[in-house]
Amino acid sequence: MTSLAAPTPATAASPPAGTDAAIQTIGLVKRFGARTAVDGLDLTIARGSTYGLIGLNGAGKSTAIRMMMGLLAPTSGRILIDSLAMSAERTTLMGRIGYVPDRPTAYPWMRVSEVIAFSSALRPTWDDARAASMLSGYQLDPRQRIRKLSKGQGAKLSLLLALAHDPSILILDEPTDGLDPIARDDFLEHVLSSVCDKPRTVLMSSHNLGDLQRIADTIGILDAGKLVVQKPTDELLATTKRFVAVLADPGKSPAAPPGTICTRKQGREWTVTVLGSPESALAALRAEPGITQVELVDITLEDIFKDIIRGRQAQQEILP
Amino acid sequence: MRIDTASDTPIFHQIASAIREAVAAGVYRPGDTIPSIRATALQLLVNPNTVARAYDVLEREGLISAERGVGMVVSHRTEDAARARTVQDIQTGFGSAIQAGRRAGLDRKRIDILYRQSWSATPKPPLSQEEKP
Repeated sequence: MTSLAAPTPATAASPPAGTDAAIQTIGLVKRFGARTAVDGLDLTIARGSTYGLIGLNGAGKSTAIRMMMGLLAPTSGRILIDSLAMSAERTTLMGRIGYVPDRPTAYPWMRVSEVIAFSSALRPTWDDARAASMLSGYQLDPRQRIRKLSKGQGAKLSLLLALAHDPSILILDEPTDGLDPIARDDFLEHVLSSVCDKPRTVLMSSHNLGDLQRIADTIGILDAGKLVVQKPTDELLATTKRFVAVLADPGKSPAAPPGTICTRKQGREWTVTVLGSPESALAALRAEPGITQVELVDITLEDIFKDIIRGRQAQQEILP
Repeated sequence: MRIDTASDTPIFHQIASAIREAVAAGVYRPGDTIPSIRATALQLLVNPNTVARAYDVLEREGLISAERGVGMVVSHRTEDAARARTVQDIQTGFGSAIQAGRRAGLDRKRIDILYRQSWSATPKPPLSQEEKP
């Protein structure tokens, strides 16, 4: 069982550590003055997997990603990419990683073609033919000025710049933030297409949990700089359940079953979300004398995320 | 084909069920190629590994088989198997609906009425308008 209070990413359910990991962070910490943005992060991203990193604004997602990109020095802890230390091998590793930052780095006065030429000069392994074919595939006009691009076009240009050197790892920091639904689908289609062309490890942070539920095979949840859950998406969805119980006496709250992450009461209706073993939670609820009936309800990744965060905020964790 | 992220049925399951239903309905006939992993992943915007997993399940069931240079082809005499699986899926769905009804104290008569109302209220699936590869 994954513990919420003391994260143990090295459970059997986690992606394998060691040589099979494309990205690994070990005890990663970043402090800005008195504020701890990333607090002992142990993240393992298996090679070839698509990892969805979720968390509230300020949870430490972008800070963690910038450290993985070698753009920010950790206060302590280590980052291994393909088992090589980012701190020592940054030049080598940059050739293997494509990065779509959370805010565009392009210069508004430049033309698309100039940004591409500028970026290609910075990357020794840049592939001009690949960039040219992506440019037409993404339907971008090379003569267009950056400031005239729509948000969707800007995101696609960022993706082109990240993929033109054919990296084996793609890191996307809230890439679809602010895109309309059509532009978002278009962008995700290009990301998936690049994964179909060649096995790539993808790390994507997003607030769009519906997208991540479809695309990510592993989910990591960050809260206040800590990794609170890291599980295969299917397993997270299969082991996190929400029960709606009807209470005999609305004034009395029954004992929360094992694995409870969040409870809510509205009159006689008592909603409990559990993580871990839904069967034993159901048995516990059925054995509870104060409960007249229990029903299992469907839960989405977004519900799971909200309940985990609300549960932590309410300090209602029953887990050890 | 469409998937529902509000359901807690795993996506690879949903994809496998959708293809089974499509075969049972004759949208894909024996010898037909089903869409490639890439095409399905891009159409549904899901991870290609998830689609591969769904196709693995269907291959193990004998519903489809990989044919070199062609892709995934619907096996012969599998319509019956697909229909049998679809019947199973329907039974599972009915089972949980009946359970919910019993929990709410509804008797068989009431549930029968609800079933008939649902039958009339449910539009026919747009399977015939599905895109073919």
